[in-house]
Order: sequence, then C-alpha cells, then structure tokens
Amino acid sequence: MVSDIAIAVDHLVKVYRRGNQEEVRAVDDLSFTVQRGVIFGLLGPNGAGKTTTLRILTTLARPTSGRASVLGHDVVGAALEVRKQIGVVIQEQAAELFLSVRDNLLTFARFHGDAGVAVRRRAVDVMGRFGLENVAETKVQDLSGGVRRRVQVAKMFMIDAPIIFLDEFSSGMDAILKRSVIELLRGQAAQGRTIVLTTQILTEAEELCDDILIINKGQSIARGDLQHLKTLVDRLYDVTLSFERAPEDLTQIVAGFHPLALTVTHNTVRLKLREEETRVLELVTLLAKRGRVLRIEINGASLEDIFVELTQRSGRHS
Amino acid sequence: MSTRGLEAVLFREGKIRATNWTFIFWDLLYPLGYLLVFGLGMNASLGFTAGLSGINYNAFFLAGVLGMASFGIASNTSWSFFLDRDNGIFYEMLTYPLSRSQYLVGKVLFNVGVALVQAVLTVVLSGASLGVAVRPQGLPLLVAATVIGTSGWFFFYAIFALRIRRNDTFNAVTSVFYFVFLFASSMFYPLDPLPRTFRLVASVNPITWHVDVLRYATIGLGDARSVTIEAAAFVVFTLVTFVFAVRALEREG
Repeated sequence: MVSDIAIAVDHLVKVYRRGNQEEVRAVDDLSFTVQRGVIFGLLGPNGAGKTTTLRILTTLARPTSGRASVLGHDVVGAALEVRKQIGVVIQEQAAELFLSVRDNLLTFARFHGDAGVAVRRRAVDVMGRFGLENVAETKVQDLSGGVRRRVQVAKMFMIDAPIIFLDEFSSGMDAILKRSVIELLRGQAAQGRTIVLTTQILTEAEELCDDILIINKGQSIARGDLQHLKTLVDRLYDVTLSFERAPEDLTQIVAGFHPLALTVTHNTVRLKLREEETRVLELVTLLAKRGRVLRIEINGASLEDIFVELTQRSGRHS
Repeated sequence: MSTRGLEAVLFREGKIRATNWTFIFWDLLYPLGYLLVFGLGMNASLGFTAGLSGINYNAFFLAGVLGMASFGIASNTSWSFFLDRDNGIFYEMLTYPLSRSQYLVGKVLFNVGVALVQAVLTVVLSGASLGVAVRPQGLPLLVAATVIGTSGWFFFYAIFALRIRRNDTFNAVTSVFYFVFLFASSMFYPLDPLPRTFRLVASVNPITWHVDVLRYATIGLGDARSVTIEAAAFVVFTLVTFVFAVRALEREG
C-alpha cells in the first residue's frame, strides 16, 4: 500500500561547528510529516533553520542525528533514491550561466532522464508560461537576476518529480508572474505533486499553503493550516474603516481601545487590536456614529500577525 | 550502475563547450598557439640543439604543449567548477538524480575527451607544419599519459575549486600554480643545464613527471627507467588527488 506520507522528519538535529567558534544548533530536535499532494510552507525568521532543514531533505547536508525520509527513502542511506523523487529550487540564483535559457531547460530535463522531441516541445511550452520565449536563445549570464530566477523555477515544470522544494521561489519575480506561478503551483498540487516551500513573504504562504510549520531556532513552534494557526493567536483583529469624512476625534476614540498599531490615511483608519470580539464591535459602532462610513473590514489575525506573535513568544521562552 | 547521470554530465559539458567559443579557444587553440608562436620563435632564434642529440626545439617542446593542454584544460574546468559553486548551480546539481562519483567521473571523462582531441590536433599540426615526427610505438603511452595526466590535474584543481570560497583567492592560487608548475619544470627547457636548486624543485614537480613521460612517448627522449619511475609517481599523484577531490566534494553535501 502506498503511504500518504511524502516527507517524514523525526527528531532531526543539525549542529554546525566552525573552528573554535561555539557550535550552532541550526535544527534542534525537529519532527514533522508532510502529506502527499499538499503545499507545505516551512516558515520562520532568518536563521530559524528552514534552509538547513531543506538542505537535509534534499540530500545536500547530513543530519547530526535524527532521521528524515522522502517517500519512504532515507535521506542519508538512500540519497540517490531521494534525488530521483525531487526537484529543487535553492535560494541562490542557480542557473547554467554559459547556456541559453532553452539549453538550461533541456539540460535540467536530461539530468532527470528526459530527452527527445517531447521534452523540446515541453521546453517551448514552459518558456511560454514563464514569459521566456523572447530570451530562449540568450545565455543566462546575460540576463537580469529576476529573469534568472524565472528560469530556475521554470525548470521545475520540465520534470514530473513527485516532490518539489522551493526555497524563496518568488524572489525577483514581478507581481504578475508571481501570480501566474502561484496558479501553476496550485495546479501541480491538484495533480498530486507535493510542494514544500520556504518564504519570507507571508501573504504568499497564506495564499498558497495548505499546511504550515513555523519554526524558530531550529524548533517547531506551531503547525497546522491557516485556520488552526489563527486559533493559536486569538483576540487579534485587523480593522479598517473608510469614512466619507474622518471624524476629528478619531484618534482620541481609538486610543481608548489601546490599539497595537494605528494608521490614518486620508479618510481611512487601519488598526490592530487585541481585544474581545464584543469590544471590537463596540469600537466600530462608536466610530460609525461619528461619520458616514463607506467601508468596514474586520479580519482575524493574518499569517504575518501569527508569525510575529509566535516567533516573539518562542524567543521570550527560549 | 545507471549511466544516465554520467550521460547527462557529458551532455551538459558538451553543450557548454560547444556553445561558447572562448572555451574552445582556451582548450584547443591556446596550446597550439604556444607551439606555433613560442616554439617556432625559440627554435628559430636559439637553434636549440645542444645536448639533445640533434633534436630541435619544436620536437622537444611538443610534449610541453601536450602537458600544458592537459594542465590548462583541468585549470579551465576548475574555474567553471568554481563559478558553478559561486552561482549555486553546483549545489542544485548535487540534488539531481546522480551520484557524486558519477558527477566527478563525467567531468573527468569529458576533460579527457577534450585533451585527446587536443593531443591529436597538436600531433597532426606539429607534424604537418613543423616536421615533428611522433614515434608510432609511443602512441599507446601518449594516450595513457594524456588520459591519466588530464585526470590527475583535474582532481588536483578540483580540490582547490571546491575548498576556496573567494574569487580573488582562487584567481591568485591558479595564477601561482600556472607560473610555478609550468616554469619550474621540464616543460619549456631541458633541466640539465639549470642550477641544482632549480633542478631539485623541478624533479618534485608533477608537471615534470607528466611532461617527461609525454616526451618519451612522442620522441623517445629520456631513459626508460627514470620515465617509468616518473610515470608511477604521477599515477600515485592522481590517486591521491582523486581521494582528496572526493573528500572535498563530499564535504560540500
């Protein structure tokens, strides 16, 4: 029977020692699993251990202790089998500088065992999707950083590896391309591919990920889908009100509710509150009596709020 | 062992060389330029025959050019190795479905192939334009020396390309290697007339071992016993550098 587990990480530890410097526990007793066919987000602040975890899962680094497996293959004992199951976009702008865009795609496919007419056709299709047709014969060393990144991500669509690792995939992409890549990734997940991504752009993770793990200092601090994570940081609300004309005593009224953040732009006020739901509604009602309201928006905590809250909490407790 | 990974490495290297004329220049034409410009000039101006049993400088220098080609091809590859690591594609390649040994062996095979093509070009051109005749019975040794020589220098350079992190340091190291290895050796001149210290340094220089074997193979210069010892020393050098290159590669991931 085929397991539903794509990735299993069990008490993983990675310690770096550099010369006489103090040892660094980049990954510290981390355990988690990833189901097949999901978009899994591995989030954390800089130095949290995301990239190290990814390096271990993609066989680029060996764990100090603990185990990790990809589709049942141990990342240390069966590294080659793991590599047959994965496609990896690493953080650097890794591309074949001396090859054209087309040859980058074809060479990548060749390494994964794909060659011939069908692959050349697929390369044309992928270049079309990533807006690379006009630079198909241009050497990558002559392209800008953003376009190189596009080439790098485009390569993942040249192969059918069941698991894709994307480390900061959208860096250097413009909003339109990013949107279309997100759609493509969703399509891939719908077809059963498992996508593991790290990102610093939390709205991206919020939009894409079915399952999120937040880590800090190499340890897991929260896990679940967005709805579940929201329950971990309750009583946090983002409120936006647009007035026809902002009331003069607006800031005075709001100050009584001790907002965590407050911005007033023209006739729009945005605030972040840590309050009971009834208190939030009380504030909105109060403000609505002071002037004609054109728009009201009340949201629970965003992933960014959750992320900041949880990482700060874990920082305080460590 | 599946050869798919190996084929892919060869495909990649071939694509890079075939679509970048500067690589072709450095690998194939640069040593020929040495032979035709430097060698011809030295031969004509210095009439280099003293102590060499009537062998002219062109014939003497042929082995030097073949050794230089192996050394140069390995040096160029290490430079591209360094660039690959610097821009990240090297690490990405380590996540491709091929073993570390397939990666190294593929690179070596390609370099050996280029070195053999270069050797054929050099031998043919030196025969046609400079009248240097290569002895037929030395051809198997010439092929072996080209294959092992290129591999040895590739592994040697790979160690530094994998260990050194900074571009300026890498350039400095390779420049020093070029100068020291090539000039403190029997590549450009016979060692006998040189000062004792120079001869001592040259005698422990693997380029001297490599070039002396090539010289014996091409024009029969040197005695069989000392050339055998030098050949054995170079094989040991190749094995040792291979071990260190594999270790350096494993440290990378």
